[in-house]
Amino acid sequence: MDQNKLERRLRISGILVLAGLGVELVTLFWSHPTAFLLFMFLGGLFIFLGVVIYLLALLPAGQPTKPEATQP
Amino acid sequence: MVSWTPLIVAIIVISMILVALIVFRPSITVGKGGKILAFVSLFVFPILSGGAGLSEHMERSKTTQFCLSCHTMDDHGKSLRVDDPSFLAAAHYQNNRVPRDQACFTCHTDYTMFGSYKAKLRGLRHVYIQYLGKVPDKIELYNPYNNRECLHCHLGARSFEEGATHTAEPGRLDQIKANDLSCNSAGCHEVVHGIDKLGEAKFWNEVKDDGSK
Repeated sequence: MDQNKLERRLRISGILVLAGLGVELVTLFWSHPTAFLLFMFLGGLFIFLGVVIYLLALLPAGQPTKPEATQP
Repeated sequence: MVSWTPLIVAIIVISMILVALIVFRPSITVGKGGKILAFVSLFVFPILSGGAGLSEHMERSKTTQFCLSCHTMDDHGKSLRVDDPSFLAAAHYQNNRVPRDQACFTCHTDYTMFGSYKAKLRGLRHVYIQYLGKVPDKIELYNPYNNRECLHCHLGARSFEEGATHTAEPGRLDQIKANDLSCNSAGCHEVVHGIDKLGEAKFWNEVKDDGSK
């Protein structure tokens, strides 16, 4: 994959994970059922999406290029 | 109860620093070391933090403070401090028959294989009703209270097995153990929280560990 494209995906993944971790950090200082929900569904969603985007970024982008045909 | 919060906060902060490094300097992932760093910070640490945080939240959701943090449960919280031993919940709470910091969860968990998880799923439903539904005027149990939850602690105890009322009739003890005769039957331990009697009740001032009331 093109290095710029990879870096862009890593950056998006990082921002999502960062947001998720931020939500988790805040909810740890609040003992209330709402904090539990925010942790589970908002923080969890951000982290899940971030991890998935990171894993997708590791996959090769397109079809492998065919080797050039040799001239007779 | 040991709190793991400081450790979990430390893990999350370290994760955030590592992820921020990737966000602001994604070019460091070109080399082998950078790729390992990306894997650790975007995969290993977020999952570790999420798992640790979830475990902490699950433990917290067992606490009395957590259950009483909703206004709806105010009266049930008050009922734990009624100065009258005939109030079952109050007698258990005040005499340490249940751990005070997990009083609600100790009696309101089904002591079955997935009892804890069922209780927590119901908790999610309660939050949904709190914000998006209509909170009922009178809070009631989903099912009649099962003696199993009492027997989890009282079974085998001398006061239960040899109690004068429990053994007054032949077969009564077996009926109680089989949940055929409810512990909360009329004439027995019928006043549990006694929410409708709180108006005329006197309250006990709990002395905290630091001496304050």
